Order: sequence, then C-alpha cells, then structure tokens
Amino acid sequence: MEELILTLKKQIIEVLNLEEMTPEEIETDAPLFGTGLGLDSIDALELIVLLEKEYGIRLANPAEGKDIFKSVATIAEYVHKNRTK
Amino acid sequence: MTTEENYQAVKSGRSALTHYEGKWGLSEPFCASLFTDAQNEAMRKNGYTRFESVILHSINDALSGTSIDITSNRVVLIVSTTKGNIEILDNPECDEEREYPASAAQKIADAIGVTTMPIVVCNACISGAAAQVLALRLLDADLYDYAIVTGADCQSPFVVSGFQSFKAVSDEPCRPFDIERLGLNLGEAAATIIFGKEDKPNVSCTSHEDWALYRGCVRNDAFHISSPSPKGDGAYATLNTILADVAKQELAMVSVHGTATMYNDQMESKAIQRAELSDVPVSALKGYFGHTMGAAGLLETIISMRSIDDGFIPANRGFEELGVSGNMDITSESRTTNKNAFVKMISGFGGCNASLLLGKSLELPTTDSRSDIKHQYTIVRISPEKVEIDGKVFHTECKGKAMLTEIYKSQVGDYPKFYKMDSLARLAFVASELLIKAVKDIDAEHTSVVLFNRTSSIVSDRQHHSEMMNLPSPSVFVYTLPNIMTGEIAIRNGLKGETSLYIIDKKEWSLMDSIAVTCFCEPDIHHIIYGWVDYKDDMNFEAEIKYI
Repeated sequence: MEELILTLKKQIIEVLNLEEMTPEEIETDAPLFGTGLGLDSIDALELIVLLEKEYGIRLANPAEGKDIFKSVATIAEYVHKNRTK
Repeated sequence: MTTEENYQAVKSGRSALTHYEGKWGLSEPFCASLFTDAQNEAMRKNGYTRFESVILHSINDALSGTSIDITSNRVVLIVSTTKGNIEILDNPECDEEREYPASAAQKIADAIGVTTMPIVVCNACISGAAAQVLALRLLDADLYDYAIVTGADCQSPFVVSGFQSFKAVSDEPCRPFDIERLGLNLGEAAATIIFGKEDKPNVSCTSHEDWALYRGCVRNDAFHISSPSPKGDGAYATLNTILADVAKQELAMVSVHGTATMYNDQMESKAIQRAELSDVPVSALKGYFGHTMGAAGLLETIISMRSIDDGFIPANRGFEELGVSGNMDITSESRTTNKNAFVKMISGFGGCNASLLLGKSLELPTTDSRSDIKHQYTIVRISPEKVEIDGKVFHTECKGKAMLTEIYKSQVGDYPKFYKMDSLARLAFVASELLIKAVKDIDAEHTSVVLFNRTSSIVSDRQHHSEMMNLPSPSVFVYTLPNIMTGEIAIRNGLKGETSLYIIDKKEWSLMDSIAVTCFCEPDIHHIIYGWVDYKDDMNFEAEIKYI
C-alpha cells in the first residue's frame, strides 16, 4: 500500500502539472480538492484518465469521482480494490 | 440545406441527431448531427477542404440574389470557427499552412472575390455570436459597408474525443434544461448572415430582409476556464447591457445556448432569471442540430429570425421536465407569437458569454460614439530572444520557452496554475503580468482583453491530435481553444469586460488597433489589453501587447 501511495503521488504530480511539489509535500489523508491542493474540475477529469490509463479502472459516471478523489488515501484504497492492471 | 429546409425540419420536429458506435475508431459511442455522405459530396469543391467547401456553399447561397460589389474594399469577410481545417492536421498530403485558420479564411475570401483581409473569430462556442458583434461594430465605426459573417466547424475524432474526455457528450439525443439531461451532442453546420449598414447608427441590417442587429455584447465570467460562473455572472452582464431600455414584453423569445450539459443550462437559467426574462419563452435548438460550434451562434440566430417571421416559437426538442433552478418559461411544445424581436444567448469555454438583440422594428435610443479614446499606452514585447517593456529591455537569463518560466518565477511565483497552462497561454499570461505590473493600477471591472494571432493553438492541437485515440487529456484539449488564454488573463485579474480572440494572417497593427478600439463603443469598457500573442513552437513565438 505504501508503495502504491508513493506511486500515485508521483503520478498525480505529473498529470496535474504540480510542478513545484514533491511527493513528500502531499499529505496522504489531506483533501485534494477545495482547500488542500486546490484542484479543480479539470483536474478531477484528469484523475479519471489516470485511473483508466494506469490501472484499467473505468468510471462510467464522473460523479463517482467525488468520493474516490477525496484524498490520496481514498484513491489508493479504490485502486487497490478495483485495479485490472 | 437552405434556411427554409432547415426551418421546415425544425417546425415539423425533425432532428438530424444520430447515434454512432465505433465511428472514426472512437471507443465510446456518441450522438451527433453530421453531414451525410451525400451532403458532403454535394458541397465538395475541388481544391478545397471539407471545412472550406461547406462554408463556400453557405456563403454562395447567402450571396445569391444580392447585388453587393464583393471586391470593394468596403466589404469584409468574418469567419467564425473553433477548429477550422483541423481535419487535415498532420496530413502529409495537405499544405501545412491550411492548418492555420487565417489561411483557410484567405482561401475562402479569394474564392468569392473578397479583397480585404479576412478576420477569423475563434472564441470557443460563442464565436458565431461574437462574429456578429464584431460585424456590428466594424460597420458602426464606418470601417466597412458590408460584413459577410460565416461560420462552420466540421466534426472529427479531434473534437468528439476531446468533449468525451470532458464527460460532456451524451450518446442519446440531448435534452436541454431537462432534469435527466446527460450532456451535449456535437453537430456540423455552416451558416452565413450578410450585414449591411443602416442609415441609423448602432444598427446593422441583415440579409434576412427587414431584420436588424441592434446590440451585441461579450463578457467574461472571470471564474474558470471550463466551468461557467454558477450564477451566470458573465451571461447576466451581457443581457443587462443589451436590454437596457428594452421593454421585455417586446421580446418573442430568448434563443438560449442550451447545450444540455449540467452546468451550462443551470447557469443560463440563473442569468435569465436575474435579467428578468423569466416570462419570455425560451427556445433551445440543440435537440435538432446538436452543438454546431463555430456555426451555432449564426445558425440559431437565422432559425430564430425565420421562426419569428412565421410567428412560430419552436418546440424545445428533448425537454420534458425542468431540471434547472432559475425561473424560465420553457415548454416541450411549439408556440405562436406576434412579436418581432428576440435575444440570442451563448456561452463558451474560457469563461466567455455573448448576447445579441435582433428585431424588425425596435425603437431604441442610440448611444453616441465615445470620443475619450486614450492614445497613451504601455507595451510589452516578448520574443524568444528578448523581453521589452515600453522599449526598455527586461533582462532574462534564459531564452526560448524556459524564459517564460523564469519570468513567472521572478515576477509572479504564487500562481501555480501557470504550470497547467499550455505554451500559448503561458506566453499570454507572462506578457499580461509584465504589462499589468508596468501599468500598476488596473480597472478590473471595466477592462477587456482582445488578442490576435496567426497559428491559433497549434502546439496543443498537435499534442491532442497525437493522443486523441487513446484516452486524451482533458487539460490538453481545453487549450486547443486559443481563446482560453484570454480567459486565463481575465481569471487571474478579475477582469469583467469582454474577452475576444481573432486570427488574422499577419500582425497588422492598423487592423488590430481599429478592431480593439471599437470595444470602446460600450460605455462600460474603459481600458483594453490587446495585441498579438502567437506561439508556433518553442523557438518561434511572439507577444506584443498594449494597455490603453
């Protein structure tokens, strides 16, 4: 799980162009949207692409993302349970 | 199809929306209204692309029966499109120049005999209405006697895959304003309106006999590059401007954008309520034509004029039960009217919104042209080798693309959205930051952003094109609309004026000056950030922008 969390943090930094951030600076349980990293609706769509590309998880309904993308911890848990690659 | 054929289809409730599976090799199904093979074949012109052919077909139809001397230097061609010849991008058999919308527009101008420099309006989904606003202003400023305003977009995996990455496309016929709406349908169309000068100021008559465009307005939400302001701030601001002194009971209808996306329709309902238009019948045409992008603002204006000529308000195809919270008068049935004026609304990515007021016999007070236009300006120039502010060199260590990040770090530093922008938007952003710093105090509420370029959004176009068949990135796709850079500047600075993006063949200051200055015809606009921002590749880019 620790390894998955670190990988996810690196992938999030890359796909969301969080240029000046390091994985250590992203708190695993901190909210990603709203406060936290201040991500927006396009970032949420970009995370949907990330799940499908890297882990073979397809979200039919983007509204599902709301619960999954709460924090890196919730993403890791969802990926762990649902990944197909 | 002619206006009449299209109108009769709407009147009888026929839609061109069709469900496609596996079309162009795309993995997700979608619903769209595309030209049929037979229609494409009938419009095809040798030596011209599909985009150019459909526009020529539409213009020639509109011009037939008119006696305009098209070769006169008092005639301008205005082309509204979001992606022009995108179908031929990276096609080795095609001339690379034609990928640039200004080259396509020139090809069209040459074909019909227009001799002045064509202007491409590339303002995302509002282009077709923004092009009419430009025509009104250019004629009112007496720069031309006639404006041929034409618009089109041809669909391809480029645009469909991009909107799919935004989860904005429905694979069923769209349902504007309905509680069960699932997103938009894309569409193909070409539409043309010819505007001529009236003897009264501030009015331009159209090729549709006795119709006139009285007012038009463009405003930015300064909220987000792809989500509209939830309260419809920009859309409301446009309505508020065009409806000053207008008795609402004179309006037959409001022809809305009504894309059937969750956010657009909700936002429009709020803007309509705020503008006190809740009792005016609403007409949403996307259920017949889909979202025809560069053509939408023109096509929907034409169908609305023709409907009102017939005393008819079209049924809102796809609508059953209200699914928005703003009060509006919308029904699933057609209605009749004896009124002779309407409002056209439209909104798009980059936070832009436009509204038009058209009618046959409205009596409105005319506004005098402003004479307080300032001739003093501040100017910033950026090229891969050099940065200058008001002629003084601004020293940088790096050259080329890296220079933009260097300027961001040394002059801004606290706006990480910079790193999410594409190269074109970064260039515009950095230039505007230097400009605004030099100006010191800007009047955000009353400032517009009007940018010009030649190569559109070619860098992001190539990137999206290379990944479109395999889970394309929504954040790359959004920057394939070059007007996003004007939205970025508006959002960063809270600018509430208009934002516009025009594509012309070369950096000609006389044309850019005269277009920009026409923004001052609105009393609410006190300042403009305007000029040239072009990014062909990492060693060929140029920004030259002024604040007046």
